[in-house]
Amino acid sequence: MRIGMFFREALRSIRANAAISVAATVTALIAVFILGAFIPSFMYVRSAVDAQKAKVDVDVYISDNASIAQVNELKGRLDTLKTDGTISGFTYVSKDDALKIMRDRLRDPSVLDQLPSNPLPAKFNVQPAEAENANAVVAAIKDDPALDPTEGIVYPQTTADRLLTAAKFVQWAGFALIGILLVAAILLIGNTIRLSIFARRREVEVMRLVGATNWFIRWPFMIEGVICGLAGAVVAVAMLWGIKVGVVDAWASGADTALTKTGSTATTIGFPLLTLVLVGAGAVLGAVGSGITLRRFLRI
Amino acid sequence: MARIEQEKPAFTLVEVPEDHSMDAMVLAPPPQPARRRKGDIFRPGNGPLVQFQGVIKKYDGEHRGLDGVSVNINTGEFVFLVGPSGSGKSTFIRLCIRELRPTSGSVIIGGRDLGELRRSKVPYLRRAIGCVFQDFRLLPDRTAAENVAYALQVTGHSRQEVRRSVPAILSLVGLEGKEDRLPREMSGGEQQRVSIARALVNQPRLLIADEPTGNLDPETSLGIMDLLLRINRTGTTVLVATHDQHTVDRMQMRVIRLDQGRIVRDAEGGYHEDPGDTGEIA
Repeated sequence: MRIGMFFREALRSIRANAAISVAATVTALIAVFILGAFIPSFMYVRSAVDAQKAKVDVDVYISDNASIAQVNELKGRLDTLKTDGTISGFTYVSKDDALKIMRDRLRDPSVLDQLPSNPLPAKFNVQPAEAENANAVVAAIKDDPALDPTEGIVYPQTTADRLLTAAKFVQWAGFALIGILLVAAILLIGNTIRLSIFARRREVEVMRLVGATNWFIRWPFMIEGVICGLAGAVVAVAMLWGIKVGVVDAWASGADTALTKTGSTATTIGFPLLTLVLVGAGAVLGAVGSGITLRRFLRI
Repeated sequence: MARIEQEKPAFTLVEVPEDHSMDAMVLAPPPQPARRRKGDIFRPGNGPLVQFQGVIKKYDGEHRGLDGVSVNINTGEFVFLVGPSGSGKSTFIRLCIRELRPTSGSVIIGGRDLGELRRSKVPYLRRAIGCVFQDFRLLPDRTAAENVAYALQVTGHSRQEVRRSVPAILSLVGLEGKEDRLPREMSGGEQQRVSIARALVNQPRLLIADEPTGNLDPETSLGIMDLLLRINRTGTTVLVATHDQHTVDRMQMRVIRLDQGRIVRDAEGGYHEDPGDTGEIA
């Protein structure tokens, strides 16, 4: 009964202040649209960076002079790193394997036949659990006597560092941007709702005069905000769907082969989930926007 | 929410043939002292309904709205609050409904020290006090009946209760047949009657009117004052701030006169009784 009344009051107000309601809806639309364009892009970039991060691995070269015992000891240390979670795994590449790989890569493998002996050292190929752990792996085994004196440990330090910096930047910049967008949207919607409250100032005054509790006053306004937020979100989602089908999917199918060739495994948020998030965001924006704005009018 | 349990009809109307030429009906006195209602924030007891103890209200800086006011108003009284503009009448009233808080001293309504009243309780205080203003404060897009019903909806009454109470209270204030008029379709006097009906519909123990006749012609003013007096006869305490000399002189009720934030006179009688002795406090 009371919920029904709150809805009636909210609808009454939307009708009475049609221009303001449209303004609030359009504000929500713009905010949700920008959010809806940004979230998938951000998640795609993040996923791409993560995929690259997974490729950072460490090559631990073994000296030809190392004894079997020494190599086993090194393997033991790697096993320890694996059990404590620093690395996710490692593989042994023997001298012969290394030569075979080299042979595959060369355009003219016959040059290798000229070699008197196999110059390639054996190695452990180590995959750190996290790209950040590469340094820890190096620190743990860099003094091992079994290491090859010239090659030692090789890993793309600069690549790893740059990737990490990029990943962190993408992450924080993304969160900051989403935060700023949300705050801006809340303020915009709040401002629009404030117009509506100014228009209904007298009504709020009378409500307080006759002893309405603050929540009683708030509900119709919050429902009004939620309705505008939802309406804006639905239109924004429809527009985003159009853009996804018309532009992004078409472009992606064209670029698809190129992407798979480079082995990109980057993915992004699914559209149904995105819709859910955006519609939720629209509703929350409307409710919070009007809630915050009302606070000032409900003092005393 | 606070809901009045009503077995009895909301308002009993009794035909009164004598004097009141304009109004044929009178409120039957509700049982007094009123039953304690759910959500009623007034404390039971026989103390004064309104109590000001050394109340000082300073506005920003030195300007004083009230400058040490102590006064008691008992249940059932009809009191005029008079004085020139800026004498503190509005400050007094706004302190009563806790739109303002005193700088020092205490305002006690129905045994409740408003200084200690939690903000969340303020709506319940306002339900126990009916308020009428010079500018009526009606919602322009609602009819007379909707305006009155609004006060009931706000306090959580059911539709049946609204349907039963609103026509009764509107005919009580003399607006029978005008339920569906919008404020702009009514005269000032009629609008003020709607606002009085709205103030009464929650059966307040205290009715406060701030310049209720300020926008009305003298004849209409008399009608409004008569209505307030009839309401007072049912046991509702009425406090009227006014500078309408004519009305005050005619009614011969208790008059509290404020000047520059102080009470300069408190006695039965007219507006300017003993105009010379402004220093006397009865």
